[in-house]
Amino acid sequence: MHIPDGFLVAAAVGTTYVITAGGVANALRKAREKIGEKHIPMMGILAAFVFVAQMLNFPVVGGTSGHVIGAALVAILVGPWAAVIIMSIVMIAQSLIFQDGGLLALGANILNMGIIACLGAHYIYNLINTVLGNNRRSKLVATFVAAWGSVLLASIACAIELALSGVSPMGVVLPAMAGIHALIGLGEGLITIVVLNLVMSTRADLLNLQRI
Amino acid sequence: MKHSFLDQYSNRNSLIHRLDPRSKLLATLVLIATLVLMPTGSWPAYGMYFFIIVTLILISRVPLHYVLRRSLVIIPFVLLVAVFIPFFKEGEVALSFKAWGWTFLVTHDGLELLWSILAKSWLSILSLVLLTSTTNFASLLLGLERLRIPRVMIILLSFMYRYIFLITDEAMRMKQARDSRSFRSGWLRQMRTVGNIIGTLFIRSFERGERIFTAMVSRGFDGHSRTLNSLQFGRIDSLFITGMILVLGIINLFTLFF
Repeated sequence: MHIPDGFLVAAAVGTTYVITAGGVANALRKAREKIGEKHIPMMGILAAFVFVAQMLNFPVVGGTSGHVIGAALVAILVGPWAAVIIMSIVMIAQSLIFQDGGLLALGANILNMGIIACLGAHYIYNLINTVLGNNRRSKLVATFVAAWGSVLLASIACAIELALSGVSPMGVVLPAMAGIHALIGLGEGLITIVVLNLVMSTRADLLNLQRI
Repeated sequence: MKHSFLDQYSNRNSLIHRLDPRSKLLATLVLIATLVLMPTGSWPAYGMYFFIIVTLILISRVPLHYVLRRSLVIIPFVLLVAVFIPFFKEGEVALSFKAWGWTFLVTHDGLELLWSILAKSWLSILSLVLLTSTTNFASLLLGLERLRIPRVMIILLSFMYRYIFLITDEAMRMKQARDSRSFRSGWLRQMRTVGNIIGTLFIRSFERGERIFTAMVSRGFDGHSRTLNSLQFGRIDSLFITGMILVLGIINLFTLFF
């Protein structure tokens, strides 16, 4: 759901850029406060990791394939604000290297798949994990719902931006995007569960580190 | 290391390659911004933009078929969103057909909006491909830094770029190991394998990050990175950027007032 240039009107471009700049600046401040200069190599490497993880395809119905976005994964593993930084660098690089997502649409893309997806996944995960009693099982359930929800939330935000730009009426684009991504999100949820399960069995200590 | 998919043509030599990254970045930004703000259906203007971009591509000697192939990246989004546009815009009906008991109406306004959006985004992508295939990523970052993008973002981007190749190689090794062990397996099993690859990749990247940080600190890293300013904004750059702004300005004035 990387929006290319040309789909968003000037007002949408401006608004999303301002919100995104504020969000990313806040994330950078939080990361520096919590882990100091260590955030630079760490966030850089994890951004490269997300970039590569997005290149690994898994089969979906009928010969097509999909890939993870990874926002929920990093939000759960290293914390929501660290995830915002990681996802924004990934998306800047994707726009510059692969033209995946436009230059003027970058603000909107980071807002959807970075800020909204990461913070959304974080809150969903915390809520469900706490309600279900904070054990291994609850963590896995919360991971699935958070990953699925992050994709859904990002697609809803994307649909709203497109509708406000007059590309398609809200009543059409919103259910269409949300419907498709409610299905795509299942793949994201499944993969994210497997990843979290692996990390819990091999390096459970990573989950107890300070979140950013 | 196999990374020919990145920076494939950006180290060639041409007039465009030799320009300062700042002037290329600014020109691209101005070009895309004026294009996106253009009203729907300004076909002569889109045509002139196309002409300008193709001329620049020819001067840069980046193969045209390469740029065109790269511009196909837009297709998934078009299939997902844009194809629905002509059905939902109100106006004079151009075409109607019945299917599955529904009547579909395609309007002239909707079609014009669809073609305009497609033209704009395709032209924007062409100019972005031109920018990135005539500027290597390192000098692109240097240019961005001089254009006052926050320094920490630049350092993070250059870190990421440096390790993409290493981590890609790591992922490809794991993929090869998987492919040589599982010729055909069920869907759920495939999902599990991909998840395990990503998980292992995460743990290894995280550990690598810790090692790198320790190595950096023991060499005196204090959160800043110091680089030499090797950019030269010469006369040819001033000429290029003023020329672009002038030409684009004239096209825009004509489109808006005539």
